Amino acid sequence: MNDTTRTAPTSRRDFLRLAGATTGSPALLAGLNRTAAAQGGEPVIIGCPAPLTGIVAADGIEFRRGLEMAVEEINGMGGILGRPVEAVFVDTESKGDDAVIQAAQRLIDRDGASALITGYNLETGTALHDVAADAGIIAMHANTVVVHDELVKSDPDRFWGTFQYDPPETFYGVGLLDFVKGLEERGEFTRPNNKLAIVTGPGVYSINIANALNEKAAEYGFEVSLFETVNVPISEWGPTLAKLRADPPALIAVTHFYAQDQAQFMNQFMNEPTNSLVYMQYGASLAAFREIAGQNSEGVLYATVIGALQDEIGKAFAEAYKARFGENASPNGGGQTYMAMHAYAVAAALAGGPGAPYEEDQNRLVADRLRHLIYRGPVGTMRIVPETQSAYCYPSQTKDPSLGMPHIFSQIQDAAADGVLVAPPPYNVESFRLPSWMQG
Amino acid sequence: MDIVIQIVVTGTTLGAMYALAAVGLSLIFGTLGMFNMAHGLFMTIGAYAAYAAAGQLGLPLVAAVVAAMAAGAAMGVATHLAMVRFMLRSKAFETNVIVATAGLAILLQDFVLKLFGGYPYPQPVRVEGVVRLFDVAVARQSLVIVAVALVLIGAVAWLLLKTRFGMAIRATAINREAAQLMGVRTNSVYLQVMALAGALAGVAGVMISSLSTLSPSMGGDPLLKAFVICVVAGLGNAWGAGVAAFALGLLEAAIQYYVGVRFGFPVMLLLVIAILIWRPQGLFGTEKVVRL
Repeated sequence: MNDTTRTAPTSRRDFLRLAGATTGSPALLAGLNRTAAAQGGEPVIIGCPAPLTGIVAADGIEFRRGLEMAVEEINGMGGILGRPVEAVFVDTESKGDDAVIQAAQRLIDRDGASALITGYNLETGTALHDVAADAGIIAMHANTVVVHDELVKSDPDRFWGTFQYDPPETFYGVGLLDFVKGLEERGEFTRPNNKLAIVTGPGVYSINIANALNEKAAEYGFEVSLFETVNVPISEWGPTLAKLRADPPALIAVTHFYAQDQAQFMNQFMNEPTNSLVYMQYGASLAAFREIAGQNSEGVLYATVIGALQDEIGKAFAEAYKARFGENASPNGGGQTYMAMHAYAVAAALAGGPGAPYEEDQNRLVADRLRHLIYRGPVGTMRIVPETQSAYCYPSQTKDPSLGMPHIFSQIQDAAADGVLVAPPPYNVESFRLPSWMQG
Repeated sequence: MDIVIQIVVTGTTLGAMYALAAVGLSLIFGTLGMFNMAHGLFMTIGAYAAYAAAGQLGLPLVAAVVAAMAAGAAMGVATHLAMVRFMLRSKAFETNVIVATAGLAILLQDFVLKLFGGYPYPQPVRVEGVVRLFDVAVARQSLVIVAVALVLIGAVAWLLLKTRFGMAIRATAINREAAQLMGVRTNSVYLQVMALAGALAGVAGVMISSLSTLSPSMGGDPLLKAFVICVVAGLGNAWGAGVAAFALGLLEAAIQYYVGVRFGFPVMLLLVIAILIWRPQGLFGTEKVVRL
């Protein structure tokens, strides 16, 4: 299978035509490029092991697009200290650790990647760590798993170079309960009963979120009436829906996150909806969800700890992204690798340039800059917790929105458009609307 | 009562999807003694052909289903002409053909990927709306899937049991040399069976993707379930595969409701183990005497 693709460096003129206003950092990088002595013409290789095919390809394709767009912009500003950036992609086929490790190793050994930058892969969340540590390079991922934090804390001297540029999944559970509490306090939602149904997938990410919800539910006055683990992929939701219809809860939380499976849930749920709020973990943020569920997607709530904001920076990014990749492209997915690539470029420039594989001393300098960088991109602020090398979460870890990546809640109010951000302030742009199926 | 109806509806829909996938697979095994690892990709190609016909060319739904059948049949014919016929008389045919068709599946999946990309799309060939069965809302598409499965299984059974073509297939399946001596053109039979199984796979792909999503890897899960069903029914027994598919679909739905969704497939696998211990030839298979 020929699963490796490359992006060609673009010109400064192309950059100026395509982008510019998407983040404040391009100016910083451009300034560094102007003041520093150019390092020569050897391209900086960025390796991206991403799920470009398979069950989560909808995300993987956006990861590739986001990285491509960032590379174009960076090259438009003169690269990193004069060196053009080249992205190389290897398809991990939505497979597990073995596929991700092989892809990462190939990117280092064959392509000479100075850094690995990706979104998430369907791995345990620790596949990149040893590969990056052995090669002495930077790895940036958005696997959104607490196991990353634990591994980095267990041996910080070995895993100095691996960063999770978003917060771990454990913030989702309490974040959802706080969000619902906020709706109730503002009188926007009155729960018909105290029941909470949790539907999760078999992956660690989904289960950790479900467990966090399960553990905290009682503190918020909820009783967990259903805790269901489904096999994936799943297209026939009949038995789960029968249980929900037999004992309708006030809130249904689907933490299994595949966009197409969630869409089929909504298609079948809407045949006979219950009087319940429906929350879907992450997958509903992708255009594929709305495309498959159509009108049935309207009213669904979703959350992500790393999603495109709808403020000045986020909107400018979304417009440029859609202009570049089409109306159905999802800035939520692409914004992740886009921001990570830009943050890496700034950190590498500040450190005096990227190191090649096995040039550990230079790459440690880049890692040090990343660890202390406060970077504002279209998905919010990336500020790294030094002990875990994950991003701070706003509002769960910091009350200052300028110092943490926001855990955003959105609602699909029009199937033809991206969901609108309904929490937290100051990023919310619309009010929550009671879904049509709950209005009698 | 509503719960029972819901389980029956879910189980029947699951069973119909499994049956559509399993019947073609079983037909090929019964005739050629070949486990076609590319059968899942035949389904995928059929599903994408319907998507292209209805979604991109704007053809009516029936024409899109015909396009899926034609694409599946073409894949079956091409596979036979370009690969299988050269291997039929090899010593370890049954093993070799598994490896060869697995390779073909990888190649075809890459082909679909290059042509349509990895992005998941909704299948436009579907019937919208719900009907009420007692007090339960049932998607019209579920009823369509069940109806299509029953019609196709019935048609295959009629073809095998009531026509000269079916007799030739059965004769070839029982003893190829004897069938040849009786004047059956076995090479033509193989080709026709591959075309028929491919056409069935094409329809199966459309029906399965109407309830799941189009993606290049969509055939993998149905192929696995179809294989399990063929083993339970007895490899090569096409109508038995249809019956087993509905029975297992209903069992899976009941287990998913009463025990837990995640236990549905593992229980199916446990059942396969039990059946293979009790009846190694499967529920509807017949014992074979092999002289050493």
